Amino acid sequence: MSSPEHVLSRAEALRRALPSDFRDAIAQTLYAEASRIARRAVHTRGQRGRDLDQWIDQIVTGPVTGLLVMLVLLAVVVWLTVSGANVLSEALANLLFGLGDLGRSLFEQVGAPWWLTGFVWDGVYLGLAWVVSVMFPPMAIFFPVFTILEDLGYLPRVAFNLDWLFKRAGAHGKQALTMTMGLGCNAAGVVATRIIDSPRERLIAILTNNFVPCNGRFPTLIMLATVFVAAGFSGPATALIAASAVVAVVLIGVGFTLLMSWLLSRTLLRGEASAFTLELPPYRRPNILRILYTSLIDRTIFVLLRAMSTAAPAGAVIWVLGNIPFGESSLASAIAQALDGFGRLFGLDGTIILAYIIAIPANEIVVPTMMMIYTGAGRMIEAPEGAEAIRALLVGQHGWTLLTAVNLMLFSLLHNPCATTIITIYKETRSRLWAAVSVVITLGTAFLVTFVTASLARLLGLFPSGG
Amino acid sequence: MKNAAFVPSESCATCPAFAQLERMGIKMDRFDHVIALAGNPNTGKSTLFNALTGLKQHTGNWPGKTVRRAEGGYQFNGVRYKLVDLPGTYSLLSTSQDEEVARNFLLFGQPDCTVIVADATALERNLNLILQILEITDKAVVAVNLIDEARRKGIEVDTRALSCDLGVPAVPIVARTGEGVMALLSSVADVIAGRLQTQPRRVCYTPQLQAALDELVPLIESLAPGLPNARWVALRLLDGDARLQQALLSGELAEIARRQHVPESRLSRQIAVVGQQ
Amino acid sequence: MEWLIPVVLLAGLLALALRSRLAASYRAWRAQQEREQVEDALKHLLNREHQGRHASPESLSGALGLSRAQTVRLIERMEAQGLLQSRAEQLHLTPAGERWALNVLRAHRLWERYLADEARMPLAQIHAEAHRREHTLSEAEVEALEANLGYPQQDPHGDPIPDRAGEMPSRASCPLTDWPTDEPGRIVHIEDEPAVAYQQIAAAGLKLGQTVRVLERTPQRLTISDGENEYRLAPAIAANVSVSPLLPTERVFDGDALPLSKLPLHREGEVVQIDPALQGLTRRRLLDLGLTVGATVRPEMQTFVGEPRAYRVRGTLIALRKEQADHILVRPIAHY
Repeated sequence: MSSPEHVLSRAEALRRALPSDFRDAIAQTLYAEASRIARRAVHTRGQRGRDLDQWIDQIVTGPVTGLLVMLVLLAVVVWLTVSGANVLSEALANLLFGLGDLGRSLFEQVGAPWWLTGFVWDGVYLGLAWVVSVMFPPMAIFFPVFTILEDLGYLPRVAFNLDWLFKRAGAHGKQALTMTMGLGCNAAGVVATRIIDSPRERLIAILTNNFVPCNGRFPTLIMLATVFVAAGFSGPATALIAASAVVAVVLIGVGFTLLMSWLLSRTLLRGEASAFTLELPPYRRPNILRILYTSLIDRTIFVLLRAMSTAAPAGAVIWVLGNIPFGESSLASAIAQALDGFGRLFGLDGTIILAYIIAIPANEIVVPTMMMIYTGAGRMIEAPEGAEAIRALLVGQHGWTLLTAVNLMLFSLLHNPCATTIITIYKETRSRLWAAVSVVITLGTAFLVTFVTASLARLLGLFPSGG
Repeated sequence: MKNAAFVPSESCATCPAFAQLERMGIKMDRFDHVIALAGNPNTGKSTLFNALTGLKQHTGNWPGKTVRRAEGGYQFNGVRYKLVDLPGTYSLLSTSQDEEVARNFLLFGQPDCTVIVADATALERNLNLILQILEITDKAVVAVNLIDEARRKGIEVDTRALSCDLGVPAVPIVARTGEGVMALLSSVADVIAGRLQTQPRRVCYTPQLQAALDELVPLIESLAPGLPNARWVALRLLDGDARLQQALLSGELAEIARRQHVPESRLSRQIAVVGQQ
Repeated sequence: MEWLIPVVLLAGLLALALRSRLAASYRAWRAQQEREQVEDALKHLLNREHQGRHASPESLSGALGLSRAQTVRLIERMEAQGLLQSRAEQLHLTPAGERWALNVLRAHRLWERYLADEARMPLAQIHAEAHRREHTLSEAEVEALEANLGYPQQDPHGDPIPDRAGEMPSRASCPLTDWPTDEPGRIVHIEDEPAVAYQQIAAAGLKLGQTVRVLERTPQRLTISDGENEYRLAPAIAANVSVSPLLPTERVFDGDALPLSKLPLHREGEVVQIDPALQGLTRRRLLDLGLTVGATVRPEMQTFVGEPRAYRVRGTLIALRKEQADHILVRPIAHY
């Protein structure tokens, strides 16, 4: 009878006596046997199916056609998401806000005190309704479409096509996909980094995902683009110009992603393990019904529930701030006033800063919160109808300039991840440190970039009123 | 076997086999046997899992997608099975977290049977993992999935020859349509009941390695008499697997070996929880 | 400037609250500094002993960049800890000191392996990074690192890594002068004493880890080759270079073998070697995917920049970057 300790020490001695490549030998033995068995069991007649796969691959990875296919598919996905979401969002908002009005009048009839009605319906419920109506439609369209491409086997080809670009930034080609996922929702993009099996590249993808604006930030970008960039144009050109401006912002985001990936891979993450493998699986017919079910349940509802759990308290805080009187106006206005000097340093103003602090749980409520503070209303409200009205409010009454608009666009693109994403980063990395790093690098970049543009504008003597 | 399809939309009167399967989703408070589901990534493992349990797991056409270990249940011929979906891996020899989870469940979770899903269009690559799993357990069934896709590509898999070579049943299936799934389930039942005797193929390593194993295996067997996979344990100890070293020191391995001889205790035992965070 | 008062008050309060914690971190930092100094000194002594000479207070202060007074204090402290003995201006390691020194060396070389294999860091950078990390691990952590790396026996420079007990695995090696002609061997050691000889070897361009063979030997000189360049050394100098036989994986291939990255598209090749320099995660992944010696591979597609390329391996399509494919040697399979 031998003791466990004896067995272990024998194992160690035997290991040292083995040639150092004995693990290679094991793999080699196994594969040699696999090859022998496969030769007996597998009979190949012709290569019909493989020819089709190869033909498709020729197109989707070809130098010109590959790029073309990729751009067309991206455009289709984005168009489907944005245009479809518009219709759905409006319908959903009408429904939910209508329900809110109903609930409020019910409370009033019962004789509930004004602060309870306000807190419940104008605070908590309104926050929830806003997040759901803005967030749900684009995700409900984006995720199934994305999942179809995933199940087809097309997405690994995108990673293959773009890997050379990401390699230069020290990242993995699959990051192109987690970034695309980030367009839908950054939290989902962070979860999607599981497909990257190399620790260093996965961390890079997690920490930089937030530089891709998720659809929760689109309302801010679209409003700014419509009001400030496309203002000089009329008719259908407006929409096109606005869309191009948003695309330009996304591209700037991609640029920052690559730059930050490059920096991280050479500094903070230098010592992390790294390897590159990418399997290109055969193309397969997707199972549409299952995709619809799983992408709605696993991704959309999952993300939505997480967002709702943080949006409800945010709605409550916003209502409280907007309804506690402070001097002549509300506490919210007073805080915005106090933050104004700080905001101006970055070409923004106090209201924007406050809106972003409150909107840490969910970016969807940035615009309504800003509108609430600007108009002095007691609850979150929609931007006024029409570009002219918004211009009048922001430029006319609150002294916005083109610099404010540009810097708000940049800030919206670069600022810290929302609470949902931060929690997700913590869960995926199981490290408070990386969650903190993700906040520090994004917020740092946002303040640095906006400070530089604001200072430049000041130095050049542009927009004196905004600076 | 082609008639054994169980597409739910079809009338089940024409396929008696379908009546034997009941999907139980996550209701698994009582179960008679534990089945592990292993395989390479992207072989339709979760399609099979969903088809059997009625759950809707999604992993996508993606190699290397880590998902948490999923569990579900099904009832076949009146016997309740708990199905544990292991992470898809190419191998069980590395230190990656996925492989550790899969490896440790096969060893310490002691499933009553392991279903290894293989991709018929890339059998050679899949055989690497199959051979490794057969080192750990001899209660296994190979499900050769995507037979339809292979046929389209002009690839025929002779599952009879495969069974012969591997020493465990190999069943052709199309998890997407349900083709062959009934045959797979009855093979699983037969293997568990001992109606089908398995004699898994064990590879011959290089002489040097073989000599080291020959020295270690008797030592391990003297500590854990009757351990069915002493050679695999020896291989892992040579590799320096910390989890196995600890299992050896704590007597966990001896415990596993002891339980092998008391089949009754296996029915009601608690499943070892491995790889959970 | 009135607003400064509350700020200062607040800062003072904060400082008070943090004081104990700050003091603790300062003490931890000091302890770490001391540990690094002691460990660097031990390493210096061990290094000297391996070279067959003894360290002196002068050599120690030079190696660590300390003043004379600081060195004396350090030596006194280490003597009190029983790590070294100072005799006649010579410093000797005690058994305890040697054990500790070997442990530091072990951590250093394991870190070098990690940085080269797993983090894929260029060889020129790993020494400095490993030096920073070698003082941070506990003994258990070093063991975990070793297990994770698969119990390597040598660092990326070819130097042996001591095991837990401080034993160095020795690889049978012999001086170049005794090495059979035409047999490939790997340079495992270059004696750095006497310095004149070392400089000549270095100037000739011979490096640790290089694979060489002796082409010709005369009483005046040895002609050796690494496949590309020829080197000529006097026998007295060549005796300071030790070589050892190649492992099976280190066999050199010549003739028609070429890196996988250079195999033309749609041309089949058989893997003959995976470069031993490619270790760690990357190697394990390649093996798992079936890229073992003897496997048949065929490049099927590449992007317009030339990489990555996708290779058909055992019925599946695997994309590899150029620097990985560079490390896989294949022999093209003749068709028809």
